[in-house]
Amino acid sequence: MSDVCALEMRGLSFTYPGLSRPVLRDVSWRVPEGAFALLVGGTGSGKSTLLSLAKREIAPAGDRTGEVLVFGRSTDALSDEEAARSVGYVFQSPDNQIVCETVWHEMAFGLENLGTPQDEMRRLVAETSYFFGMDEWFHRETDTLSGGRKQLLALASTLVMQPRLLLLDEPTAQLDPIAEKNFLHALFRVNRELGCTVVVATHAPRAMVDYATCAFELVDGRLRDVGDLDAMRRREALFVDARASAERDGEADGGARDDSGLDAVGRCPGHAEGRPRPGVRDGGVPGGMRGEPAVELERAWFRYERDSGWVLRNLDIEARRGGIHALVGGNGCGKSTLLSIMAGVLKLQRGGLRVPRQRRAMLPQDPRALFVAETVSDELMEWSRAAGYGRSDADGMLERIGLGGLGDRHPYDLSGGQQQLLALGKVLLVRPELLLLDEPTKGLDLASRRIVARLLDDMRKEGASVVMATHDLDVVEQLADTVSMIFDGEVASTAPAKEFFRGNVYYRP
Amino acid sequence: MTERIRHTAFDMHHPAVPATYLLITLCLTMFSMQPVLIGISLVAALVFGCLERGARDTLRSLRWQLPLIALIAIANPLFSASGSTELMRIGLRAVYLESVWYGCAMGALFVASMLWFCAAASLLPFDKVMALFGNAAPTLALMVSMCMRLIPKFIRQGRLVSAVQGAMEPGTFGARAAADAMRLRLRLSTVLMGWGMEDSLQTADAMRARGWGAAGRRSTYTRYRFTATDAAALVVLALAGSFVAALAVAATAQFSFYPTTTRLVVWWGYLPYALWMFVPTTLHLREARRLR
Repeated sequence: MSDVCALEMRGLSFTYPGLSRPVLRDVSWRVPEGAFALLVGGTGSGKSTLLSLAKREIAPAGDRTGEVLVFGRSTDALSDEEAARSVGYVFQSPDNQIVCETVWHEMAFGLENLGTPQDEMRRLVAETSYFFGMDEWFHRETDTLSGGRKQLLALASTLVMQPRLLLLDEPTAQLDPIAEKNFLHALFRVNRELGCTVVVATHAPRAMVDYATCAFELVDGRLRDVGDLDAMRRREALFVDARASAERDGEADGGARDDSGLDAVGRCPGHAEGRPRPGVRDGGVPGGMRGEPAVELERAWFRYERDSGWVLRNLDIEARRGGIHALVGGNGCGKSTLLSIMAGVLKLQRGGLRVPRQRRAMLPQDPRALFVAETVSDELMEWSRAAGYGRSDADGMLERIGLGGLGDRHPYDLSGGQQQLLALGKVLLVRPELLLLDEPTKGLDLASRRIVARLLDDMRKEGASVVMATHDLDVVEQLADTVSMIFDGEVASTAPAKEFFRGNVYYRP
Repeated sequence: MTERIRHTAFDMHHPAVPATYLLITLCLTMFSMQPVLIGISLVAALVFGCLERGARDTLRSLRWQLPLIALIAIANPLFSASGSTELMRIGLRAVYLESVWYGCAMGALFVASMLWFCAAASLLPFDKVMALFGNAAPTLALMVSMCMRLIPKFIRQGRLVSAVQGAMEPGTFGARAAADAMRLRLRLSTVLMGWGMEDSLQTADAMRARGWGAAGRRSTYTRYRFTATDAAALVVLALAGSFVAALAVAATAQFSFYPTTTRLVVWWGYLPYALWMFVPTTLHLREARRLR
């Protein structure tokens, strides 16, 4: 093979306007043709910036030095059309990168933009649709597709333009584990069967290691070659100090917890030790109240429309006070619906919902549903008057969620993971006694997942109850007390977290 | 979620054919102020609606359509005091029979037009409209398509935002004053605004990444070919349409509501008019039978 690289960067440095610290420093990078390269690094490490600098149309404005070459030619020298054709880019959000109303139009969109003659366009669209097995849903409206299919469509509609280099920015962060596998498998076929060079930026490389041929890590704006791919297969513990999990190992189930040693567990810096919680007696829920249901559904039936099928059928579930109850199950199994019902937002058609009067809060999948303010600090203060907390509490929370020093930023200028943490922090400030979370760790890197795990663990110690729908089985195993698997509108099984995984064949972290 | 695929009239034609038919039919309906013609059009639209959308849906919409006809029938005499047969007097104003008639006809015409618009939605689905305009104005067509996605998306996001608030309501914040409701609505629009703008920035990036604006002229992936059959259909439609239009003009010209309503007589010209109006029904039935 020639020594022309699919992607090459020479001494690339980049600084965003208004910032003094460069995001990228003197990055030199060679991705050989035909490679399946991983670009790893934590949230906010500059992976997206690095990747987008290789795609001229979406390269951020700022101070750039150094050179970017695609197949030996500088990206600055390419014409608009060549640039669009030679490099494909797939984004993280399945919803936002889809432009058109129907699948067929989305497939044709890129080729239409390039003014491709109709006959050629139709041949390319047909070929690509067959490659991805899309012919069955070719006439569907894009909004009716599942997240996994949307992302597959994004990949297909990029590939239809026949790029020789494909860049993907956290393409599976928003997908459930099964959809993620499907997507990666398709990507693998693109790489091996079509010979397309693939570069994936991700903070969760574990699922991709099997496909990768090389990996690079971005730390402090510098790039280094990861020699040992196998090291990325390791599962990291969510609690850095093993004491928290050791403590959890000692208990039989989530219902009866021992109060001793609660305060001995290390807390995040900035968390006011022993801060009194108005409304809840200090030290959490008194022993007698533990194990009482925080929320209970009995013989619940629910469907969205008169003509649609049942989402919940005759479902019984009970989450106990002072515990973390995880709901697992595939996409569309009714987990989110169940949370909305527990939140009192949706009403059951039949059956009973029993929730004692308590402060409760819900955090939807998309944290942006919560953001109103201009700065992160103001965001945390939005409910201060209604919920009775002050500026110092908000500042404390800012530290606890690891966003100290970012208080002046606009919430939308944070990375996806930081937004998720901000939303969680905002909800925690109202000190809910019942917290309903929908995928709290979706798309988060390890450091952020650790913060979420710690926050929820702290909440539990203060006596609050948490019900969370999640695909993150690591979180389930290491954090939850009880797990319910939802299937076909019913609870297939409920068990303490440890036992749950012992009996499972496929469903394990 | 399985979608039922309905095949209806003009399914296999280029969108220009149903578009021409619908244009002529809507014009005929809206400009023929003659009771028999209005009746024919109304019945034909109703029958087609029953076949295409189902009898229940169509008849259910009559629940508000019939009162609408009645309302126009009652309201018209109050605004236009013309005619010769006095029914009664309300204060100083006389209510004439002709005027009530006119109102009834007007109401029926209104409902018939509405039913034809419903029919248009199924005869000419959105992607066919796009195909019609896509060649002439690709950018406009794309913008319309994007707007169509935006509205349901906003509604979904709005529901989610209020759900977050709704979940907190009873236990967390206590009872709310009426003034808060207004503030909440403002908050909702703020959240939606930020969210929507952020999303569209990402969509804009995705569009640029796939070559939006890279080439001077966009091409289209039109899936509808204009064949000789379509051309023939258009010619037939144009000829038949002008003939029926001439009949309609004649019928409307010899008829008047004021000062006395013209007596209606049996006339051969109603037959071709009815045939025209029942074209979609006939084609729909033929389409339904095709694979029986």
